Amino acid sequence: MNHTNNEGEKLHVEENEKHLLLDHAYDGIHELNNPLPSWWSFLFYTGIIFSIAYFIFYQIMGGPTLREEFNKDYSKILVVQEEFKKANSAYKDERYVAVANPEGIEKGEEVYENNCLPCHQEKGMGDIGPNLTDKHWIVAKSTPETIYNVIFNGSEANGMPPWSEVLTTEEIYLAVAYVSSLKNTFQKGGKLPQGEVIEE
Amino acid sequence: MSSVQKTETFSYDDQIVRWFVIATVIWGAVAMLLGVTIAFQLANPAFNFGLPWTTFGRLRPLHTNAAIFAFCGNAIFAGIYYSHQRLLKARLYNDFLSRIHFWGWQLIIVSAALTLPFGITTGKEYAELEWPIDILITLIWVVFAVNFFGTLIRRRERHIYVAIWFYIATIITVAVLHIVNSMELPVSFFKSYSMYAGVQDALVQWWYGHNAVAFFLTTPFLGLMYYFIPKAANRPVYSYRLSIIHFWSLVFIYIWAGPHHLLYTTLPEWAQTLGMVFSISLWMPSWGGMINGLMTLRGVWHKVRTDPGLKFMATSLTFYGMSTFEGPLLSIKSVNAIAHFTDWIPGHVHSGTIGWNYMLIAGILFYLVPKLWNTELYSKKLASFQFWLATIGLVLYIVSMWIAGVTQSLMWSAMDSAGRLTYPNFIETVIKIVPMYWVRATGGTLVLISFIIMIYNLYKTAKQGSVNKEQIFEAPALDETSIETNATAHRKLEGWPMIFAVLSLIAILVGSAIEIVPSLLSDRYVVKMSKIKPYSPLELLGRDLYIREGCYLCHSQTVRPMAHEVIRYGKASEAAEFVYDRPFQWGSKRTGPDLARIGGKYPDMWHYRHFYNPKEVTAGSIMPRYTWLFDNKIDYNSLQGKMQVMQTLGVPYSDAEILAGVTNAQAQAQAITTVLAEAGVPMKIVDKEVVALIAYMQRLGTDILKEEAQ
Repeated sequence: MNHTNNEGEKLHVEENEKHLLLDHAYDGIHELNNPLPSWWSFLFYTGIIFSIAYFIFYQIMGGPTLREEFNKDYSKILVVQEEFKKANSAYKDERYVAVANPEGIEKGEEVYENNCLPCHQEKGMGDIGPNLTDKHWIVAKSTPETIYNVIFNGSEANGMPPWSEVLTTEEIYLAVAYVSSLKNTFQKGGKLPQGEVIEE
Repeated sequence: MSSVQKTETFSYDDQIVRWFVIATVIWGAVAMLLGVTIAFQLANPAFNFGLPWTTFGRLRPLHTNAAIFAFCGNAIFAGIYYSHQRLLKARLYNDFLSRIHFWGWQLIIVSAALTLPFGITTGKEYAELEWPIDILITLIWVVFAVNFFGTLIRRRERHIYVAIWFYIATIITVAVLHIVNSMELPVSFFKSYSMYAGVQDALVQWWYGHNAVAFFLTTPFLGLMYYFIPKAANRPVYSYRLSIIHFWSLVFIYIWAGPHHLLYTTLPEWAQTLGMVFSISLWMPSWGGMINGLMTLRGVWHKVRTDPGLKFMATSLTFYGMSTFEGPLLSIKSVNAIAHFTDWIPGHVHSGTIGWNYMLIAGILFYLVPKLWNTELYSKKLASFQFWLATIGLVLYIVSMWIAGVTQSLMWSAMDSAGRLTYPNFIETVIKIVPMYWVRATGGTLVLISFIIMIYNLYKTAKQGSVNKEQIFEAPALDETSIETNATAHRKLEGWPMIFAVLSLIAILVGSAIEIVPSLLSDRYVVKMSKIKPYSPLELLGRDLYIREGCYLCHSQTVRPMAHEVIRYGKASEAAEFVYDRPFQWGSKRTGPDLARIGGKYPDMWHYRHFYNPKEVTAGSIMPRYTWLFDNKIDYNSLQGKMQVMQTLGVPYSDAEILAGVTNAQAQAQAITTVLAEAGVPMKIVDKEVVALIAYMQRLGTDILKEEAQ
């Protein structure tokens, strides 16, 4: 057999592989018949054996499903969340009073600008969410406690998210202080009033 | 050679190869330019230019289609047509068919470029082209197959070489994948709905999507590798035995692996597990090709340093080895839980497409172009410079996406001791990785520059060379003298290409049938819920806008059963929720947050402001503006036809509902606009597209939260 390629260049065959050269030739391409590398065969069969064992354990022998594993995880988290809610959801007047001062309001404004601004706009003028500068109220009813509750729990019906998932309790009190400072400031160009009138 | 043998003369059609080579480099540049453009769009949304047809959601499908089907497609045809003739000592079956193949394929690409940017899309990843183009693809693929198998019949070489095994598997499997996944019912010339819904659609789509990678980007290129590496290195292929084992195991196993794209979704878990374990088993069959390629270079590594073609080919094999290790790794459920929906995946994909496909194509072109134009390569120095630019660019791409992917995933799942997310605002996790988007865009730009350098180098090569008259070859006709009497079974099979083709078809049909058929036959595959209702007419129109704008390319619609996802997005998704989704829109990437439970989360006004300018609502957002939704009128004319097609496909719209479709849609639009008007939006917005899209947004994921209707 003539081991040259089409250009007449002699095929490069190493001394120790000459005996492996097969009598195959395609357009000058030849083939050796080296055995399968042992590590390759090992991993090939290991992969298949693992796969069969894995499938049998999870799909036939009743190993835990992804849903079951999730439910186990999630039920633990629900307990922790419930504890947090119990400890923090109740409004505490003394915590509000502690921040209801110029310094607290200033800090509250920062919280407001970082979180509330896209919906309630600058100085509470309202846009996506209601105007906070008039005497009309939808869910909260003007008092710090009701404002706290709507920030903490949100209002699903009105598209207000529960901010207890985002803000710390302290930040919520600061936001209440700032929002309370906005009421009845009647900003010019604010959104039209929504909800019931509460006179103070 | 026996004297009784009749000698025949023949020549090769190299003109068609030259055409495909030229098409390869042109479309390659287009595909990469598009890739770089959308990479910059993710780094800064200003690069969307505020125009509908230059926005990410429209250009991203064009990029993927151009890279896969235009760039790699033309390269495959060039390489196969060159090697197929020589491996069989026969001219291509029919010159005219070759030309129909060439121009037909270019027509498909141009059609893609003229439809995708205008939002004409099926909304199925990597299969976005609408039904008329799907039919054209089928016809041209048949032309290719006839030309290919016709050549096989007229061959003067008894046995078919391993390269041709891979070509056969490619042609057969791509045909099956394309036809099954493109089953759709037309509404009009530019719009159709998938024959499959929800979970079924997802399964078929990812069986297709994964195997497009397998049988369009892997098997044909392995075939080309088996031809061009031994030719360029002038070395015998390392192991014939390994060729046999890794070919059949690769073809048989690959087809099963699709469901690894759907881990933790509502796809039945046995199918998910099959997807995972077959992916793991695929590791060694994939590496078989790498070993056979790299070990073929034994004894000639000095050539790899000096020969630019070999350098690219050897590097492409190492990237192939890396991404086929990464793939099985990413298919392991617990790894997938971290990596899925993140930038790790585009990183993984590009180590394949740039590292394996582009580099191998470059290597092949450096071999082919001097041969086709009878000259030497114009500049080895330029080729070397190109090599380093491409490699550095690719490494920047991969590493930045690893960092971005893992960072974002860890931020998504981080929780404090009170069971609250550490980063509840999705945008925080986006802002954190934007610097990595800049690194990726830079890497991509280097790859693009490297490609342009190659085009220049190849152009100068062709220019200094010349196209000679076709050379005449002589070879004995195929007769019984070449039959090997003591051949092994597989060796005999290599002499029967048609039986070989049938066996390959059987090999890919086994896994396909076992995974897909149950989903199409069994009513119990998806447990129905009576509270899940079809979309209202306006929501249906809004959904088509969601598809048109390619929202699914950045937003998923499936909440996985994981604590942090349920806390962030809401109740984990159920299979029943998707029964009216044609096509499904689960997505595969979360550049933005999941939208499966977006309905009711924000007021209508939030969406109104957000579509107009996302940055104003969410500081730091990288979502493009969709200002044209506020100018374009809702297309009520198409509504009745759409509802009728949906009814034909089994969506329970009554005839009365279809008749009243437009009236009902307009009433819903009126109701939404009335709410918006409270915040000062003018009523004239009532017939604009944004209202339909808001209607769809507000419906998403809400049915399941209702009390069960009796």
